[in-house]
Amino acid sequence: MVEIQGVSKSYQKTVKDSTTKVEALSDVSLSICDNEFLSIIGPSGCGKTTLLKMLDGLIPYDSGTIAIDGQTVRGPGPDRAVVFQTFALLPWRTVLANVEFSLEFRRIPPTERSEIARDFLTRVGLADFANHYPHELSGGMQQRAGLARALAVNPKILLMDEPFGAVDAQTRQLLQEDLLELWQRERKTVVFITHSMDEAVYLSDRVVIMTPRPGTIAEILEVPLARPRSAEEVRRDPKFVELTNYIWDSLKKAMMNNNGGRAAAGAKTAV
Amino acid sequence: MLIARLFNINVLSVISLAAVWEIAGRLMDSVLMPPLSKIGAAWWKLFASGKLMSNLGASLWTLAAGFFLAVIVGIVIGLLMGRFRAIEHFLDLYVNSLMSAPTTAFVPVLIMWLGLGVQSRIAVVFLFAVFVIIINTMTGVKQVDRVLLEMAQSFGAKEHEVFRKIILPAAMPAIMAGIRLGMGRAVKGMVTAEMLLTLTGIGAMIMQYGSAFATDSLFAVILTILIVAMVAMKLVQIVDQRLTGWKVEIAVE
Repeated sequence: MVEIQGVSKSYQKTVKDSTTKVEALSDVSLSICDNEFLSIIGPSGCGKTTLLKMLDGLIPYDSGTIAIDGQTVRGPGPDRAVVFQTFALLPWRTVLANVEFSLEFRRIPPTERSEIARDFLTRVGLADFANHYPHELSGGMQQRAGLARALAVNPKILLMDEPFGAVDAQTRQLLQEDLLELWQRERKTVVFITHSMDEAVYLSDRVVIMTPRPGTIAEILEVPLARPRSAEEVRRDPKFVELTNYIWDSLKKAMMNNNGGRAAAGAKTAV
Repeated sequence: MLIARLFNINVLSVISLAAVWEIAGRLMDSVLMPPLSKIGAAWWKLFASGKLMSNLGASLWTLAAGFFLAVIVGIVIGLLMGRFRAIEHFLDLYVNSLMSAPTTAFVPVLIMWLGLGVQSRIAVVFLFAVFVIIINTMTGVKQVDRVLLEMAQSFGAKEHEVFRKIILPAAMPAIMAGIRLGMGRAVKGMVTAEMLLTLTGIGAMIMQYGSAFATDSLFAVILTILIVAMVAMKLVQIVDQRLTGWKVEIAVE
């Protein structure tokens, strides 16, 4: 159970000689239930990545509290693991050694590390690529490795920062399906950042819509689609269409409000 | 097999140059440009008498000592400057200016401070090589992908673990590039030091034969230096391949 209460974060932005205070997050409150799949969607600058990093304990917050199962978050911990948009694999290590990386900080003996890593590589379908190097793998495969690395330490919460943003559309869809399957099996809490409304609705139990300047939660939507969700069927469900359209309208409205009436979508004018 | 080897471009190039040199030398028949065969004869004479090898040995010892010192000091300072902004700003000015400065100008100073012995020669080699190693190491550290650092921290890595497991391997290609360039400069430093100190080693031989117009012996010595430099570079290249086979890097020169 994750409790985020009244969290704010601002920082100084200096351009030439003038310094402005940027409010990355302002009074954000959110509760996340165990085993929930929660998506956060919003335009650039709405603070979603900042929030994720705070959840992982990578950056401090100015005010408010973030607590997981009653414990205040002060830094990274064994109960959380991150999957990165750019995969963040170490190019000088083999795929297997990369998955082992997360285990190296948990005091697990080397032979056991190897076994666990191989096990998770198999679960994401990369068993045959254990001794390959990241650059020999496609984007989708690299992200699977990143996923295996995160799952290997058995975290309660999986924090995913636009994990499928850097792969092509078909691979993205396959990865989404695999992720849901894995999630259904492993039963973790997932906090998933995305730019895609389709993705958010397809995957999640709830979708959090955030808006920028200052970064706040505009709305939280329930996704009442039954599970398990088949990719093809779900996308034809009228409720799916309704939800994605609703999110798009919300986002557009929020972006327009922030740009003083100028339509953000499809804006061709350079500033 | 042999034919294929002979058609190797490198070999072809060397053979052509050798042929041109021999012909031109004979045609010119001047002390200023001896044909390759004469140089070869002079080389053999120097080699057989042991003079070449003993001088070369002394020089190489100086080179090795100065170079390894430069590698150790260079990498340590480079790592510190790369990781800690404060240290970088503090030392930046000196490192940059000393790297582009004509290091030869400092040799008389070193002679004053350290005398004419082996210490000043090692110091010169060190000075020639260290700055390019520092700068490349520092650049390597600064260029490490921030996301990798974040990733390591997110899994619970402490500062020294981040350094050992992420920064060092990630910066290794740049460090090796610095070492490669440092080796080249170290060889130059070694010859320069000996030429200016004119007491021992290869550099002394150059000064001696140069001033005596014994061009065949002079060229013989110069060719020996070139071969030594090539071998040294090849050795560094081999180490580089083993440590950084996974990446290609562009060096700061």
